[in-house]
Amino acid sequence: MAANSKDMASSAPTKIRLSGSSKTFYFICYLIVIIVAILCLVPFILLISGSFTSEQWIRFHGFGLLPGEFSTEAYKIIFKTPGRILRAYGVSIFITVVGTFVGLILTTLTAYVISRKDFRYRNALSFFFYFTTLFNGGMVSTYIFYIQYLHLKDNLLALILPGMFNVFYLLIMRTFVNTVPFSLVESAKLDGAGEWRTFFSIVLPLLKPGLATIGLFLALGYWNDWYNAMLYMNTEERYPLQYMLYSIQQQTQALSRIAAQAGITVSNLPSNSLKLAMAVVATGPIVIVYPFVQKYFIAGITIGSVKG
Amino acid sequence: MKKKLIAILMAAAMSAGALAGCGASSSSGGAATSAQDTAEPATTSETAEDGTLDTSKEVNLVMYVISDRPAGQDIVDENFNKLLKEKLNATLTINWIGWAEYAQKYPMLYSSGEAFDMAYCAGWLNFSNLARRGAFKPVEDLLPTYAPDNYALQTESALSQATIDGHLYAVPTLLPTYTTYGAIYRGDIAKEAGITDTIDTWDEIETFCDYVVANHPEMEPIDEYSMGPEMNLTWTRSNGLKDIDSGLRYLYFDPSEEKPTVKPVYDIDGFGDFMTRMKDWSDKGYWTKSALADTDSTKTQNGKAALRFHNIDTFAGYGVLHPEWDFQYGVMTADVAHLPYTQDCMVISNTAKNPERAMAMWNWLTTDQEAYDAFYYGILGTTYELNDEGQFTILDNDLYQTNAMWAVRTMDLNRDQAGTPESFTTLREDWEKTIDASKGAERFTGFVLDTSNITTEVAACTNAEQQYGWPLQLGYTDDVAASIEQYKSAMQAAGIDKVIAECQKQLDEYVAAQAQ
Amino acid sequence: MNDTIARREGFLHEFRKNKALFAMAAPAFFLVLVMQYFPMAGLVLAFKQYRYDLGVFGSPWNGIQNFSYLFSSGTGWLITRNTILYNLLNLITSQLLAVIVAVFITEIHRRHFKKVTQTVILLPYFISWVVVGVFVFSIFNYETGLINTIVKTFGGEPINFYMKPAAWPWIICAFNAWKWTGYNSVIYIAAITGIDAEVNEAASIDGATIFQRIRYITLPSIRPTLVTMILLQVGRILRGDFEMFYQIVGNNGQLYNATDVIDTYVFRSLVTNPDIGMTAAATFYQSVLCFVIIMVVNSVVKHIDEDYALF
Repeated sequence: MAANSKDMASSAPTKIRLSGSSKTFYFICYLIVIIVAILCLVPFILLISGSFTSEQWIRFHGFGLLPGEFSTEAYKIIFKTPGRILRAYGVSIFITVVGTFVGLILTTLTAYVISRKDFRYRNALSFFFYFTTLFNGGMVSTYIFYIQYLHLKDNLLALILPGMFNVFYLLIMRTFVNTVPFSLVESAKLDGAGEWRTFFSIVLPLLKPGLATIGLFLALGYWNDWYNAMLYMNTEERYPLQYMLYSIQQQTQALSRIAAQAGITVSNLPSNSLKLAMAVVATGPIVIVYPFVQKYFIAGITIGSVKG
Repeated sequence: MKKKLIAILMAAAMSAGALAGCGASSSSGGAATSAQDTAEPATTSETAEDGTLDTSKEVNLVMYVISDRPAGQDIVDENFNKLLKEKLNATLTINWIGWAEYAQKYPMLYSSGEAFDMAYCAGWLNFSNLARRGAFKPVEDLLPTYAPDNYALQTESALSQATIDGHLYAVPTLLPTYTTYGAIYRGDIAKEAGITDTIDTWDEIETFCDYVVANHPEMEPIDEYSMGPEMNLTWTRSNGLKDIDSGLRYLYFDPSEEKPTVKPVYDIDGFGDFMTRMKDWSDKGYWTKSALADTDSTKTQNGKAALRFHNIDTFAGYGVLHPEWDFQYGVMTADVAHLPYTQDCMVISNTAKNPERAMAMWNWLTTDQEAYDAFYYGILGTTYELNDEGQFTILDNDLYQTNAMWAVRTMDLNRDQAGTPESFTTLREDWEKTIDASKGAERFTGFVLDTSNITTEVAACTNAEQQYGWPLQLGYTDDVAASIEQYKSAMQAAGIDKVIAECQKQLDEYVAAQAQ
Repeated sequence: MNDTIARREGFLHEFRKNKALFAMAAPAFFLVLVMQYFPMAGLVLAFKQYRYDLGVFGSPWNGIQNFSYLFSSGTGWLITRNTILYNLLNLITSQLLAVIVAVFITEIHRRHFKKVTQTVILLPYFISWVVVGVFVFSIFNYETGLINTIVKTFGGEPINFYMKPAAWPWIICAFNAWKWTGYNSVIYIAAITGIDAEVNEAASIDGATIFQRIRYITLPSIRPTLVTMILLQVGRILRGDFEMFYQIVGNNGQLYNATDVIDTYVFRSLVTNPDIGMTAAATFYQSVLCFVIIMVVNSVVKHIDEDYALF
């Protein structure tokens, strides 16, 4: 009975008879989902519209669903030197892909180990990882250690290593691993498969939704991180996108302040619309990529197919 | 939590006005040096080679400044290094800490053990805190030996401010700034309202604001935003009082007294009446009811507000930016003194490899117009232009503005920016004439409060001030008397009495030391 | 069974038996050891007066002096209470909403609708708190805010939200839920998707109603995830989301009694005179309390069902 997951999903509606109460259920279900979707979507539309509104208009009238006074000033500032933004996209994509890939492997392997009931140190190990969410050395000692001992200054590893492994992801992943029946593992081992083979050929395929979730979170984490770049990166060629945007914004803010004091004629730097445009520029690519990840959340999996 | 905390710390520090006050080019009183003077060739004259300084070995000096690296820095460096090589057999590398990162990275510079020679420092970068905690190399020997000309120009109070725990930790700026607070307001609107006198009293402000409320509903009469109100400060200054420390703007004293007493703001005569007036102003709509949530610091500059309480440098900046609005400045400080000279200063790092050469370069930069121009403004005709009065214009904002080592500016060498309002120069000239180091507020310019014994109480008081003092000043209350009581008791709970006692003790010691 | 034997035989035996498992966990173990545990030496800063020239270890000790400002003038209790209450409120609302949204979305069978809504609910995650701060101001400010503009068009008296501290816990909670619901629901959607498709199919063939399927299949399947999420949040119960509070409340002292959490208080107290030791002390205080709370909660959970415990 190896039902293909795709068939399953598409054929499901026809199999379920819609009773009266089910109709009501679906009505409420759609209604709530639509309301939530609108609540999430409208601010984003405001944001896009605001990013195309002139700063002077925002200052006096705020922003609405449509730009009050159309202006691309904010984008002009961001893309003043398109080369550096493109390079920053490149850096971001690189650290996101590498970090997510390696991080996903580490997280999954470790989650598998700490969910194995026959592994004696699983609780100790979980605690070892969990402890880092309670205590940390603080910024100063971490900074000194990374720079002086690990030589991470201006090194792309400084952007990759810190975000690679996270207890939150590990424990979420464990809940996914726990759904895989242990009997599957045991029977594979009885058949003579080694631990690694059991993991890769039996367990991993059943973890697709978990892998997609944690992969997505890892990727989002890397994509949004500007803090490590701020601390450890010195050369602009190694700035990831978020930090590049952030520094453009901070620079503009500082400039407009100095402009005010020193009379350097750079009036009306778009600080509000710039903030909004930054969000648009940084979010764009993820919104485009997300649908490709999504398919793992839509189709169910079938343990039977692996068993058989 | 930490990272977010620090991220915001930066944002807040940037908004803390102080930054801008010492921001780029304010200019000196009478230093209209003409273009011809600057064309003088750099003769290998006077002091730097003081017999003690050996320049036979070429060195590279490393300097840290706060700002983002300008696009044109390479050409400016190349030009400047040619001069420096010839003069001191050295080259200079400037490292930049960007606006996005300075709050975290700047203090860390001194903990990471990185070798560099010199850096920009300032009150808003917590100069005294860093100095007290051993970030800098003491320069009491270096400065007179290797920068004798600079040393000769330093005033006693400037050196006293830079001296902490018995050591001189910085070379203070030679460009004075002033304690004036006052009303920066729109001259065009005042004219429209038929106000011809300079607006510099609370009554005149009221007349002006009533006019704005009635005739310019799109504007906020007084610019107030989330970094906190400046009413108490302006009010006390207009009464001739002085604040004990720029970080403790709830403690004041009367500098005209022989032995002044430190008082909390709420114990000053007339405080209750002033707060009632502020409540009245707030109700009349002189400022937004959402001021403490409004993060827009540029309302006056962008035409959304008509009047702002701030210093004279801000006024000059607004004037250059919007000549069409005819900005005016009503001085509301009864007793003008110099601001601490450590507002901008140069420090030598603990890890400096060539502190002597760095100091010699500093001497040269602060006393030689050609060196100063090449270092600060860049290349004539490429990055800046001079007019007949020796005022400068930046040619391309994207290429190069001015150097971010603001501490290098001196009264003699610094240039006005073209378009600076005339009153900016005349007011400052007047003050220079009247300020007397032995009298009034100026007597206390050299006083630096050491809060290390009262850190806890200061932290709590600062917090209570923000929680109860700010809304009170802005008149956000239904019952002024009750709110004053609440403010008082919160300050007392926070330990204000201990803070006052400590301030009084240090002030007394200062007065006693002066008497000798 | 295995457990008891192993316990008698010690580490070497376990190592030999589960070499592969040790190897699997090793990379993460060493990564965390180096990147997280080594810098932990910095915890001593909470008890030191930091000096730049002497470094982390050379700086002089100053006992528990760094902690005293937290509790001066009785604020320590208020901010600790606020932090805990906000975290509980946020925990309940954002997880509950995430579960509801996840269940509903997975019940929807129109593929395109499902895809689009799943993308859309993730959007708020990308809107940084700075931008949220811009939104909050333009909704609630007295003169031109969205709400007061509406109130005024209908002839009402404008409301001064900044003088009404009681409203802000709900405003903050709403924005928190708005920002995190989509992100959290991804986890639950994945958990529901992970249900063996055969089970659902069998259930519907057996004539189970939608409600029965949700009640007996869907909800139990996400229970482990839900418990893990709750435990993870409880472990952070004394940490306030600084950026959220700061961007929404900012310097607005009128709201502090209702909105101040440990992190904002520490920030404000130290803004004029930053002190690495005092910051470290606050973090240490939060860590210790979190540690105690999570140990208690975790052991209770372990007592009920060992599978659900964090460690």
